[in-house]
Amino acid sequence: MSSNRILPVSRAISEAIAQEMRADPSVFVMGEDIGTYGGIFGATAGLLDEFGETRVRDTPISETGFIGAGVGAAMSGMRPIVELMFVDFFGVCMDSIYNLAAKNTYFSGGNCKVPMVIMTATGGGYSDAGQHSQTLHGTFAHLPGLKVVAPSNAYDAKGLMTTAIRDDSPVIFMFHKGLQGLAWMASPDAAATVVPEDAYEIPFGQAKVVREGKDVTIITLSMMVHRALAAAEALAKEGIDAEVVDLRTIVPLDRETILISVAKTGRLIVVDEDYKSFGVTGEIIATVAEHDPSCLKAPPRRLAVPDVPIPYSRVMERFVLPNADTIADAARATLR
Amino acid sequence: MADIVIPEGLWDAGVTPEGVVSNWFYADGATVSKGDVVAEIMVEKSTFDIEAPTDGVLRRTIAKDGVIRPGSVIGAVDAG
Repeated sequence: MSSNRILPVSRAISEAIAQEMRADPSVFVMGEDIGTYGGIFGATAGLLDEFGETRVRDTPISETGFIGAGVGAAMSGMRPIVELMFVDFFGVCMDSIYNLAAKNTYFSGGNCKVPMVIMTATGGGYSDAGQHSQTLHGTFAHLPGLKVVAPSNAYDAKGLMTTAIRDDSPVIFMFHKGLQGLAWMASPDAAATVVPEDAYEIPFGQAKVVREGKDVTIITLSMMVHRALAAAEALAKEGIDAEVVDLRTIVPLDRETILISVAKTGRLIVVDEDYKSFGVTGEIIATVAEHDPSCLKAPPRRLAVPDVPIPYSRVMERFVLPNADTIADAARATLR
Repeated sequence: MADIVIPEGLWDAGVTPEGVVSNWFYADGATVSKGDVVAEIMVEKSTFDIEAPTDGVLRRTIAKDGVIRPGSVIGAVDAG
């Protein structure tokens, strides 16, 4: 078994799904263009050829129907992975997600499990306009009963997908389009990583310190991990030592790792490619404030999408998305 | 040393003469086995997997995003 393969995120996800399908006949995949096409962002490439149309099911454009069917299948003993092509399309099927998938375990007094993965594409940066560019991390993280995962690289994507499929609760697996390593969409080099061939799990609720530093903590996730690491490189040239924390899962949230890092550095920047108000950035700052606000040597700062729909115009879209320059500026400001 | 060659006939080169190397799945100098998918090429929006022709050490000669045609040599595997 060679372990020196460098896989893009899309292939890491499809490999995790294939391995779980081989090991467990109750696992199957459903969604729009996930069969012959292999998923428009490549997350199910190759599965139809290996597993056939019974276990890799192309659906009509009917999210309300097929996500509801996924909930029913999960409650009947199957382990469905259902792809919602863009997270932005959740509007038509949210009842199935937050009133059925998220609540049925509670409503049945724990007698019914809903072991379902809803896999969905997030993120902007490629001029696809406001209804194809959101992450909506906070929208899903806000709702009790859902676990929410958003990896930044291929190693984490494979391990988190394996954990998601084996989990008995509904999991929203959010992959960022710009990290998939698709031939037709640019991706940061560091998103593709060495990926072990054997199946492995990454536990939910364990953030990862991806760069150690002592001067300022940058908490982030998904695509913004790469932007934060680029900012940290720029800051290092000025003698500022930034610590970067990749949350990996939003629910459960690893508050302990956040608190340990902020206790060390005393300065906090939170970066999220989601809307700013009422979201992940505020939750993280509240976590620190509730625990011990005296550990902060400067007011915390958050970088996120200002509260407007993401623009189609490339210039305007670049203006609203956090980037390495704006993250580095925020870090400098907390140190002033 | 076995060349890694883009096969003829993967796509209609009369319509689309050129493609690009869209991904390398092993670092230059990595040890690979015959049949490992070492690279991916893209023509229009279709992708094709390219396999190692033999066991050995991978030498990459065309970088990611480099242009390829049917018959192009994108690298080699040095059986040592």
